[in-house]
Amino acid sequence: MTSDIRFQPDLEQEDAYSILPVWRRLSALLLIMTGALLAIVLLSELLQRRFDARIEHVLSLALAPLILLAWLIIAVLPEYRAARPRRRLIGVAVLSALTASAIGLPLIEDFMRVDEWLPLQSVFQRIVGYSLSVGVVDTGLKFIVLRYLIYPQGLRVRSDGVAYALASAMGYGAFLSFALIWRLEPTLGIAAIYVLANFTIQLASAMFIALGIIESYFSDAYPLVLPSNVAVAALASGVITALLGGFLSGPLTTAGNTARPLFACAMLLASLIITFGTVYFLYSNSERREREAYMSQWNTDGI
Amino acid sequence: MEFETGRTPAIQITPRQRWSIAITYFLLICGFALGVNQRDSTLNQASVYSNLEAGISASYPARWLLEESGAYIFRVRDMSHRGYNTVIEVSTAPVGPDTTERNILDQLSLQRSQTLTDYSVLGYDSFRLPDESQAISMSYSYVARDASPFLEGVSSIVNGLDILAIRRGQAVIIAFRADISVYGRELETLRWFVQNLEF
Repeated sequence: MTSDIRFQPDLEQEDAYSILPVWRRLSALLLIMTGALLAIVLLSELLQRRFDARIEHVLSLALAPLILLAWLIIAVLPEYRAARPRRRLIGVAVLSALTASAIGLPLIEDFMRVDEWLPLQSVFQRIVGYSLSVGVVDTGLKFIVLRYLIYPQGLRVRSDGVAYALASAMGYGAFLSFALIWRLEPTLGIAAIYVLANFTIQLASAMFIALGIIESYFSDAYPLVLPSNVAVAALASGVITALLGGFLSGPLTTAGNTARPLFACAMLLASLIITFGTVYFLYSNSERREREAYMSQWNTDGI
Repeated sequence: MEFETGRTPAIQITPRQRWSIAITYFLLICGFALGVNQRDSTLNQASVYSNLEAGISASYPARWLLEESGAYIFRVRDMSHRGYNTVIEVSTAPVGPDTTERNILDQLSLQRSQTLTDYSVLGYDSFRLPDESQAISMSYSYVARDASPFLEGVSSIVNGLDILAIRRGQAVIIAFRADISVYGRELETLRWFVQNLEF
């Protein structure tokens, strides 16, 4: 049965004012997140001062919850002041974190054992390997959460897809960051990079999933559009994961090798800008096409 | 102001969307299967070591590090593992006409108890070699500390297994050591190594 897609002028006008726009909030969240984490990395590099190990561990563990708190304040709480809020944001984030804990992490660490065979491979093999292991698992789990919680019942406007994908990335990324810092007990600067890396990877893949869901649902796109976007999401996740190790570790010398946090930060920042630039361009383009189609239909109706 | 187009709520998904979801699941399953395949082919990739002088030829995991300079013929180590690196070491020792396998193992234990922390022998057993002959094995454990006292880190409990066989007037000792947390899993690698060992 073909769905009846009807664009209603009244509903559109109502939606424009009663559903919160998402891109501005997403940009604000990214600015705050990257700004705060980069400041921590820079300060720890410049000051070269270590806190007591226990205090440093507690501070490191607090980073992921603080990013979640920023997301709650910037993106979730304002929803409850809107006439038609997105009610499932917290549910999507919590379920994503639970799937990361119950399925994602055990699958990657205990079953795929990526740490044993991938880090020593060539760059190309690392990209393919991380895309097919970490990328597929993370992207697949986030897609399943979004499929069963919001697709199609939670989708009213295009930006809903972006807002829920962001929620999924925040939940998934927060759990992975917390688990990693809990286990490895890194210094505060390195912990900030881990958190930034996890959120960047999860956000990049979630945005491509969102794009696929939006195109599939709102434009009733060809059946290969959604899988292609999910594949790109897994690839984005694999590319960033594979390149991060190389940027973070310095060259091996007789004195050993040292971490290069600033290189890693620059690479993550570039990944964020490229990913969001691409996704926003494709999103705007598809929205413009839909608006033009709607306007031509409006004119044809002679109103 | 963002442009938002509303649509009538609670619409069922179209056949095209249903197909796209099914293809997505199929793609994810295929991708994961390819990932597992890549993992298996990388983990099971082998390199061949051969030493004509000692008359030993062996296959070892390609990602392990081969070393020949030491009090052994050769050894291979899994450098990718955090903490204690799993090691398989092959060495030989001359034996006299009255020397038994147990004498050699006791001598090894005596040496190790003086250099390794909390070294203790866990037991002796027999081990069937690929040519159906019997060898003797000795399992033991000790506490390993990092080589450098300046590096921070906790000690590891290491389990070891020595397999000893006497051939042509010399004892061939295959020493296997791994962190206790991965010992059971790495025993499979040792069995595969012994299956492909010729001496």
